[in-house]
Parts: sequence; C-alpha cells; structure tokens
Amino acid sequence: MREPPTREARTLNSAVSVRLALTVALVLAAPAANARTLLEYKHYRALSIDLVGRMPTRDELAAFEKDDFDLDRWIDTQLDARGYGDRLTRIWMDTLRLELSPVIQLRPPSTMLRRVMIQGPDGPVYVYFRPGQHRAREATDGDFCLTRDESGLKVLPNQNKPPVGMPVTVSKTVLEANTVLVKPWWLYRDYRNAMPVLHFGTTWTTADAGFEPSDDLLVEADGKAKTVAVRVCKEEAQTADSGLVSPRAKGPWAKQHKGEPIACRSGVAHAMSTDCGCGVGLERCLPSEGVKKGDTAFVSASRVGLGVEQPFDRVEQSSSEWTKLWLAQEASMYLGRIIREDRDFREVLTGKGTWINGPLAQFYRSSSGSGVGKMKQYGLADDGDPLFDPGRVPIGLLPHDLSTWERVESRGPRAAGLLTMPVFLEKYATRRARGAAIYSAFLCKSFVAAPNVKLTPSNDPNLMTRPGCSTCHTTLEPLAAWFSRVSEGDIRWIPADAMPIENPKCKLDAAGKAPPSCRDHYDPAFSTKEHGVLRGAYASHAHADAGPIGAGEELANSPELASCIVERITSAFLGRPIGSEDAALVSSLREVLTSQGYRMRPLVRALVKSKAYREANDLEKVPQ
Amino acid sequence: MKRVLLAAVVSITACFGARTPEVVPSVPVASLPGHDRLAVDTSPKEGLRMVPPEAYVRTYLQLFGGLAPLAVQKKAKGGDGAQLFDAWSDYLATLGFPDDKQDLPRATQTNALMVATFERLGAALCDRAVENDLRSKKPLAERVVFAFEGEAKDEASFTTRFDVLHRTFLGYPEKLAPGRAARFYKLFTDTVARHQKDVKPKLAPEETGWAVVCEGLIRHPEFHLY
Repeated sequence: MREPPTREARTLNSAVSVRLALTVALVLAAPAANARTLLEYKHYRALSIDLVGRMPTRDELAAFEKDDFDLDRWIDTQLDARGYGDRLTRIWMDTLRLELSPVIQLRPPSTMLRRVMIQGPDGPVYVYFRPGQHRAREATDGDFCLTRDESGLKVLPNQNKPPVGMPVTVSKTVLEANTVLVKPWWLYRDYRNAMPVLHFGTTWTTADAGFEPSDDLLVEADGKAKTVAVRVCKEEAQTADSGLVSPRAKGPWAKQHKGEPIACRSGVAHAMSTDCGCGVGLERCLPSEGVKKGDTAFVSASRVGLGVEQPFDRVEQSSSEWTKLWLAQEASMYLGRIIREDRDFREVLTGKGTWINGPLAQFYRSSSGSGVGKMKQYGLADDGDPLFDPGRVPIGLLPHDLSTWERVESRGPRAAGLLTMPVFLEKYATRRARGAAIYSAFLCKSFVAAPNVKLTPSNDPNLMTRPGCSTCHTTLEPLAAWFSRVSEGDIRWIPADAMPIENPKCKLDAAGKAPPSCRDHYDPAFSTKEHGVLRGAYASHAHADAGPIGAGEELANSPELASCIVERITSAFLGRPIGSEDAALVSSLREVLTSQGYRMRPLVRALVKSKAYREANDLEKVPQ
Repeated sequence: MKRVLLAAVVSITACFGARTPEVVPSVPVASLPGHDRLAVDTSPKEGLRMVPPEAYVRTYLQLFGGLAPLAVQKKAKGGDGAQLFDAWSDYLATLGFPDDKQDLPRATQTNALMVATFERLGAALCDRAVENDLRSKKPLAERVVFAFEGEAKDEASFTTRFDVLHRTFLGYPEKLAPGRAARFYKLFTDTVARHQKDVKPKLAPEETGWAVVCEGLIRHPEFHLY
C-alpha cells in the first residue's frame, strides 16, 4: 500500500482507504512487551479529543506510555476540566442553536440612544437623544430636543434615515438650555462616581480585554479630538429611578394615570414622564454610533466557536448585536456551568438561577421590560411580574464586566431554566416554535405527519380537531399552551391578574368582533360573547396557567428525557446515530444517568469506558 | 424470471387495486424459506468519526505554540507577503463549524472544500513551523513541531526525527505504522533533491523536505478522523 501524502488528502472522503491503511497497520504492528498497542493509542487520542478538546501533545503521549499511567484517574481528572464541559455544552448548543439571527434587531426605543451631528457654536457636535422621549418643551416633545429652527435639521422617526435639512449653527444658549454633558458608562469605568476620572484608553488601562467602544464613539464630531464627555438631551441625562406620569403625556392610559409614579426602567416611562432619563452615566441606555443602517457601538466577536474568550474575530458591531452576543453567551454559560459543576441536568429545564456578566446585568436592569408598551391598554404601567426580576441583578456588575460572571440564585418565580431565557424565547419566537423546540431537543421526537394524511379543506380553528392537522397539533397545541403567557417574539410575561385566560373585557361584540386593543393577545377565533380567550391557551388552560415552569417540570418528569439525553450524548461520542445494536449500551447508560441524579459526569465516565466507545475506532470490528 | 414475476405482481395489483388491501400477518424472518440461516450483522456500519472542528482548531492553536486564534492568525499571515493564511472567518464554515445565527448545522462528514482548507491551513502551519523551529535554532524544549536537531543523513536518522512528527500529528509511534517511515523518507529525499537548484529559495532544500513531510502528516486522514 502506498501513502503519498497528496493522494491521501484527496481521498479523505473515502473511509475505505483509511480502513485499509489502519487495518494493515493493526495486523502488522507487533508491539514490544509492555508497549501500548495501536488501539490503546487510538483510544487515548479519542479520549483526548472528546474530553480535553484537542489531540494529545507529545508530552502527554510520553506520560501515557509510562507504566504507572492510570487511565481511569486521567479520565476522572478530565471530567473536572473545561474541555469536557465545552464538549457537552456543544452537543446541546448544536441541538438548540441558541444564537440569534442578524435579522432580529434588539433596539428597544426606551434604551437605544441615537446620535445626531449638529453645528454647534464651536464646530460640529454630536448630540444623543432617545426617540419618543417626553420633553418639558412642547415644541420638541417626543422628538429630538432641538427644533428645526434651532438646528436646521429635521430628525426623522425612521432610525435608518439621516436628518434632513441644512444644519445651522446652534447658539450656545440654546445648546446649554436643552442639552448637558455627561461622562457615559461606555467611556468611564467609574461612571457612577460624581466626578469620573477613569477614561477608556487613557486613565482606564485595566479595561476587560473584550470591552472596546467602536472608534466613532471615541472621537468627537471633528474626527480628531478624543471624546471625554457626550452631549445628551437634558431629559435623557436625568438619573432618577422613578418619575410621575405627565399630564401632557398622550394616550388614554396616560390620561387615566396622570400624576401617578412610574418606574423609569419601564418600557413606557420615557414616553410618559419628563422625569425619566437614562440614569447615572446613561447606564440604562446603549449608544448608537449614528443614524444609519449597520451603525456600530462596540468591538466584539462575531464568531465564537471556541468560546467568547477565544474569538476568531473582533469587529465593530451595533448595540443590538452586542446584546444578542451576550444573550447567547448566557445560555452557553448556563449549560456549561450545570455540566462542569455536575449539577442535576434537569436544571436546564427547571432551574431558577443563572449566571450573568456585566452586559447581561445591564440588560436585565433596564432593557428586559422595554416591550411592555403593548400591554398598557390592560392597565400595566411596567412589567411588574417579569421573567427576570431586575431587583435580583447583582448591583456590583458594571456593563464593562465581560469576563466576570456572577451566579444569580433565582431570577424570580417565573424562571424555568433555558425555557425563560431571552435567547430561547427570541430564537423560538412563537408558542408553537417553543413547544416544538423542547419536544425535539429534550424528548428526541419530531412532528412528522403520516404519509396517508389528507388535509381536507376546513375552517375549524381548532387544529387539534381539524382533519389532517390534528395528527401533529393534538400534541403540539398543548405544548404551545405552556408558552401562552410569554409574548410571541418577545420576553414579556403576560400577568394573569391583568390578563386572565378568559377576559370579559375582550369579549366579542354583536358583530362577532373583538375590541382592537385585545387582538394582540386574545384570539377572536376562540372568544365568545362572554369573554375573550388568551391566544394559545385554548388547547390547555392548565398549561397556560402553569407557564414555562409547567413545561419544564413535565419534561423533567418524563421518562423519555433520560433516554433522549443518553441518545444525544452517546451518538455524539460514537460519531454515529444510535441504532438497535446499541440498545444494551443505551439501557445501561440510562440506568447510570437516572440512578446518579441526572448528572452528566457519571454518564460520560460510563460511556467512555464502555466497549462501544473503546472500540469505536477499531477498524477490525468494521466489516470490510 | 424476474420480469415474469413483476408482470404478475403488476397485473394482480391492477385487478384488485380498487379493493381494500388485505392485512398480511407478520411472521418471524427465520420462518421464511431460505431465511432460516440468515446472519444478522449488528456491527456498527459507520466509518471513523471526523475530528470536531473545535478540536481541530484547538490542536492547531496548540501546534502554533498555544496562542489565541487571533494571535495565530497574525503569526500565520506573517509579514512576508507569502499569503499562507487569510483570516479565520474565511475558514470556519469549510472546517465544519456550525453557524447557529444562520441555523447552519455543523458538518459531520468531510467534503472537498474541507479537505482543501485542511491543506491550506496545514501548509501555513508547517511553513511557519520550519521558520520558528528549524531556522530559529530554538532550544528543543521550546519547539512545538520540529523538536529535533541535526540533518537526516540516512533513513535511520530520518526515522528517528519522523517519529517525533508522527507522534505530534497522529498520536502514536511511527513503528506502529510499518513501512510509513520508508515512504516518507523517499518523499523527503525526492523533495530535497528537487529543490537543490532553486534560485533564491525561501526555504533551504532540507527545510523544504521537512515542510513537505509535515504537510503530509497534517493532511493525513488519520489526523482528521478518529
């Protein structure tokens, strides 16, 4: 047999040539007494790839060749290490694919600062503002804080379009009456101090290696001077935690609640109160480099296949991409910690806690309730019952603390492992997508209609009974009902007291129509003249009441969960689908998993010591 | 005979097509004529596993001296304009990494583009390793790939050095792959001979020989499969 390297590379697809080469080697190799066999070397290499995360080094091979090398002890050591955790985390991240598409834009108006370049008295100046901000001056209410007469510019509501008009020089008096200078969090480590001094790139030299504002945020509008403070419309610069609903605020809800207090972190506060700004150092808001598509704010990784601390690139990205990166990292960190700390794997479905870093702390303190505006017609001023209670966010975590991850013991009473994490709820944006995702990922089942199913034309809104549809939807609809109280495409909890499953306020009128304000959340197809029915809840009121917690508990108690976990891990480690020939192995591993409290370490230990794994690359066992 | 049978089956189906099909009770396979001694093969039918791209890249980083991906990118690119390496983002998809943002799953089997990427990355690693290890005259302990010294004057001295590379890339001693050292020695000597008359070569003939041996091993199917 010849092995010219160039040919070998070309024939990599053909496992036959590999099999032949290795079989010959296996047959001809006659190891000396006490020497390791080829199969032992191959087993050790496979263990290193699966548990350490790379091939063994020469030094590691030398240690392996020593007479006193204890493979069992070595395996136990690796099961405490990072590589093993990464390997198992990958299996679940591959299954759930918990990263968010570039199509998804997280730009809550209540937390996103836009930037406009005006002509100041001494040259061009950037001014930051929040679209929709309720202002003291009626002329600029809900808009940029300088009028067109003052700046020469008309700022359009569409954030992707630049202002129109010819800039005129804004007088110093007008500028100072309507804007203030702030030392923002993205430039100062000590932004919470009265007089911040630790400035990014100059006096703040210990910034987390991954934290870096984009170039445009570091330079003034003249393109030369370093930015040491940013000019912000004065309402946005306010630091209070709560304000009062203004008598001038628009809409029936505002009229009903005028003069009442409102939390400034609420998603509607900026539009309802002139008292609510972005907080100390603008920490409740995220910057945007400019009014254009593809604007950037931070330099961050776009590909993190080896983990966020070992990025493959560093590119300038928008605040939306920045937030999405950390939401995905939360899920990865959550899975990794559960695996590395050898916790009960069912926590993935039922755990109340999580681990968060600085950007996530900032998100959960300020952005997570930002979509509440759609529910104010039900009397809600803020998300009083959020999936992640902002009061439980560690106070000390600053937005720049990228590599500091702190344990949050409980996110709140609604939390249920991955199922209530924003990345899961945004990735699987609909109730049915969420139900199908957990069914597939944790029970290893999928929805496939039988080949003889006929989709008879029907107007039956109940998919559990509609001919044809019912084969899948009889199972799917009750699964989807678990997520009836989490808004679709969002992470807002729909509270039962303000929005019951059967809501008389949303009943159908004489013409069979529901009130327009109810249509987002109540399904006219299932509503009656007595009450509206919460969307998705028709399949199971009990599931809707229990919420994602109920889904997590049901999955955790399902006997199919253990089989699914074992099949996924075994298939990944053996590198092939699990078949009938593996029944005995799967059964024994299932016993290990369930008897050891659903901990991954005993399962993987038993798997890598199994005959099937040891001989997975023994080509003598493979029929030629 | 088969055609006759097929025609009979078709005509029978046509005759009775409108009727409800009969339920044929299942019987054990062994009771069917000719099936009583049928061997059931329950051995796995899959071939070797592909090394996960994460493990491939971590190994690659380790072979570059344990650097971070961006540091390796910089070092592999170098400043000599050799264009040995572009950017990681150009290679990740072809190496089989999943892209969960775009819902692109990980590749679990090799393909032609992947093999081409292995070749490109392998060439970058081996050429830079020649510069860093052989030419720099670093102490042996600091050499990640070419951890040996002296010329390979004959097959025996080549084999001693080849064993170092074989362990580095394939994870076991060369003596467990009989005949391989001899074939690589021929590749080495042929390469050295071919480059004796190079004008202004980037690498000396023997350095080129070792780079080619290194590339042969890092492109070897055993490196990418396990």
